[in-house]
Amino acid sequence: MSEPEKHISLPIEAVEIYKILNKKKKISIKEIEEATKLDRGKLEYFLDFLISNDLVSRLPIVSHLMSLTKEGREAAEKQLIERRIVEVLRKNKDVLFANLSELMGCDKKEMNAGIGLLKKKDLIKIEKGTISLAEQDTDINADLQGILEDFLANKEVDTKEFEAILLERNLIELIEVKDTILEILTFYEEVKSRIKQTSEISRLTPEMIRNGSWKDVKLKEYNLGVSPPVFYGGRKQPYAHFLDWVKRKLIGLGFHEMRGPLVELEFWNFDALFQAQDHSAREWSDVYRVANPKQGKLPKKDYVSLVQKVHEDGYDTGSKGWRYKWSPEKSARLVLRAHGTSVSARTLVDLPVPSKYFSISRCYRPDAVDATHLAEFNQVEGIVTDPSITFRDLLGILTTFAVDVAETENFVFKPDYYPFTEPSVELSVNDPIMGSVEFGGAGIFRPEVTRPFGIETPVIAWGLGIDRLFMIKHGITDIRELFSHKLEWLRTAEMS
Amino acid sequence: MVSIKTSYTKLQEMLGKDVSIDELGNLLAFAKSEIDDYVEEEDMLVIDIKTSNRPDLWCAEGMVREINGILGKENKIPIYEIEPSDFKVVVDPKLASSRPYIACAIAKNISLTDYHIKQLMQLAEKIDQSYGRKRKRSSIGMYNLSMIKSPIEYKVIDASHEFIPLGHEEKMKLPQILEEHEKGQEFGDIVKGYDHYPILLSADGITLSLPPVINSNDVGRITEETTECLIEVTGTNYETVNVILNILCQTMVDHGSKIYSVEIEYPKEIRDKNDINPNLEIEEIAIDIDVLNKYLGTNISMKDATELVEKRRFNGVSQSKSILTVAIPPYRKDILHWVDIAEEIAIAMDLNKMGATKWKVLTAGSILPETESENIVRDILLGTGGIELLTFTLTDPDILMENVNLEDRKLVKIENPVSKTYSVLRDQIFPLLINVFSKNTHETYPQSIFEVGEVVKITKKSVITQTNAAFFHADADASFEDAHKWLEFLLKLLRTSYKIEKLEHPSFTEGRCGKIIINQKECGIIGEIAPNVLEKNQIWIPVVGFEIELPLIPSLECKVKETY
Repeated sequence: MSEPEKHISLPIEAVEIYKILNKKKKISIKEIEEATKLDRGKLEYFLDFLISNDLVSRLPIVSHLMSLTKEGREAAEKQLIERRIVEVLRKNKDVLFANLSELMGCDKKEMNAGIGLLKKKDLIKIEKGTISLAEQDTDINADLQGILEDFLANKEVDTKEFEAILLERNLIELIEVKDTILEILTFYEEVKSRIKQTSEISRLTPEMIRNGSWKDVKLKEYNLGVSPPVFYGGRKQPYAHFLDWVKRKLIGLGFHEMRGPLVELEFWNFDALFQAQDHSAREWSDVYRVANPKQGKLPKKDYVSLVQKVHEDGYDTGSKGWRYKWSPEKSARLVLRAHGTSVSARTLVDLPVPSKYFSISRCYRPDAVDATHLAEFNQVEGIVTDPSITFRDLLGILTTFAVDVAETENFVFKPDYYPFTEPSVELSVNDPIMGSVEFGGAGIFRPEVTRPFGIETPVIAWGLGIDRLFMIKHGITDIRELFSHKLEWLRTAEMS
Repeated sequence: MVSIKTSYTKLQEMLGKDVSIDELGNLLAFAKSEIDDYVEEEDMLVIDIKTSNRPDLWCAEGMVREINGILGKENKIPIYEIEPSDFKVVVDPKLASSRPYIACAIAKNISLTDYHIKQLMQLAEKIDQSYGRKRKRSSIGMYNLSMIKSPIEYKVIDASHEFIPLGHEEKMKLPQILEEHEKGQEFGDIVKGYDHYPILLSADGITLSLPPVINSNDVGRITEETTECLIEVTGTNYETVNVILNILCQTMVDHGSKIYSVEIEYPKEIRDKNDINPNLEIEEIAIDIDVLNKYLGTNISMKDATELVEKRRFNGVSQSKSILTVAIPPYRKDILHWVDIAEEIAIAMDLNKMGATKWKVLTAGSILPETESENIVRDILLGTGGIELLTFTLTDPDILMENVNLEDRKLVKIENPVSKTYSVLRDQIFPLLINVFSKNTHETYPQSIFEVGEVVKITKKSVITQTNAAFFHADADASFEDAHKWLEFLLKLLRTSYKIEKLEHPSFTEGRCGKIIINQKECGIIGEIAPNVLEKNQIWIPVVGFEIELPLIPSLECKVKETY
């Protein structure tokens, strides 16, 4: 005798699905979706009833589809790189190695791969920078080319022999296709008598709570494995969030914030920083100039004439100065702030001692915008002053930045050059992926910079390349993404 | 920054040892240089030199001079003998107003390969471009000495003078060279700024060059066969032309050439005495070792300091009490102050071996009240579900005008833009948000975006930078009410009462737009974006929102920043 048979409680929809499965025996989940017109979430919910009662089983299956990669498609359309090189060499005699990539119209990396292939098979010779074919009628990798072209034309292709090489050269890729198959375990007829159809409610209402009817109904169980609906909440711009983090770090280290205007007098951008008026950084190609008004007004302060003196003869600093006639008109010209140091320069007026300052400031350079350059970017800069401070303390400050902000112990100092500091030093951080990255720079302001403002103590000036740090942390390779207007990224970028 | 190309093999030969690329990179750091690229197939190194005031480093010879000091292979100022020659240059007083100075020397015993000629030309070109300010301040010429007779005349000449410029086969008149020759087009403006033509002539009337534009085709060409050459630098600054000549002579000497002097006969209008070039007179600077130790945080002796400066190719010439007098090599004019010597000593000590000292300046850190205020506004707007944006402040005039139906107005425009896309500073934020909506029409709605950011305005007295907040919302059923409820939410939390008054604005729909008034002052705008603006921007859904000037909200501490 068998045990007393239990009832099987199933919602009506689950019974309907069960009947479909019973007829087909084995069916993919997509087909059921089409047959029942239920959305995936609901379907999964009802299937769970069938599966948990051992009526149906659920099998995930994975198959592999072969597909051309971007490189593969290009090779199919334009020929493999080694075949293109052969073609170019056949048409042009004695090509200079240095000119080849230009002739080919492809990037160096790709070309070098092709050259490597041809070299390995001794099909080309490279002598004194000139490259030529070893034999004129080379028809390298014709079979491989054929396969790629068949692929492109959607023909049946037998790749067995070439699969390894195609994968290795990244010409094809295997795409995983996942599906789920449902199979009947117990036929409907066998358990038909035991099935009890239930009615459940899906939502608790305020009325049900008030009138007590919740006691008489069962709330449907949720399928906990189902994906929720998509939701995008309000959030900070990821780069702005990072800048806030940098600010908090610097405040934690005892720095006070400073800010300045976006449009700047050349006086603060250059003259106060002891950059001679014919310095190449002040040229048309290095700094944005304002078309109208072209000029502002210099402050009516003693330090302006002292800056003039320090340029002309070094003032009382012991410096030779730049020995030219300083022009107040040039100094009053308006530019877009070219570096955050101009904010530091403004702070030199009535600078308290001791003090530590930082600023995160938008700066502008007339660069053509590409993956590594922006016309507008942020600089983190600051100053530190104290009667006792020394150059070795400056190295200590940079060490703190490396450890606390860049979060690395792997860094070196390199001599550097800034027109306004001496000595000047670069903080170079070793990133496992990017290699040596210039993360910061610092120096002691020259006396020619500080003396016109009546400052007697050494002033350390420092700057950090935080754009790069953010890019490393987020795996961003295109600097334009920092100011991205792509809502998809803004909504979904993960926190670092 | 200056970038040069040189040969890896030849650089190792000059250093007298094999060094790996990594080691070389470490050594180059001492010459403020770094390897930007290495192309193994071409044996080519691309080296970036970080200093703009050390043209002596802009060639392999200069870097090796520096590195050999660090390696201890050589020290002190390199010296060489100068033999006299009977060559003379006579300078025309009329040049006083244009390009008065010339420095000249002769190099013999030169044996140049094609590689060396290219390296020399590269050095000359880098110096002309950067240190010579695109030849305005100085320019270099080199000539085949065997074709030149003394005295050379550096003088002013008629426009009708003609010669065959480098790279051409026909004689050309001077104005024609400025208009038609490639170099004339590049550098002709410098000569046009003078009211005459400067020329260099051999005693037999043969033209050497039209400085600073172009050499003549035959005399002014250096080849592998040239064994004796004349080097000349003209310019507007006496010190500059002389230091450049010294750099070139030192580089030739490093190659094994012998240097012969040239006399420059100046008229009294330019200089009160004649010169014998090259002028290797040595300048000196004094440094107090006690002050130096306090500056660097070191504890080095007089003897250490002397050795360290000599490692950097200076000479320690005398010591008295704590004062060390240092002689500066004649190819350097970047030493203005003893702090420059302090840097040389720090580099010689190796920055990585000096020992960083611990943080000791104790101060309390804080952000400015205005940043705190901006953060409050950002937090409130985030609470409405807004996505924060950072857009560019330097933008496209179309975004600020045409795209939002606005006219040209007083905007900060750039005189030298690289492209129109970045050629004007924004005076308000909302046009940029409209642009962001237009780029995201494929994304799901609703879209709520905001930015709290800086804008720039021209006032009667100055140019000002201030922070605005703009919040906009796009959705199928978005209406004025939505914008209004969020503005109310924001200003209520900021304890600020406000009014909205009717406003006609080309970017907004008539009757559904108002100005925000706080304390009788207009401080922002609110409304529904006009359908024709939406259409122009290909946004197919209603957009509403507001922009408000934060300095005008009394409970915040945002300040306007004046440029002057």
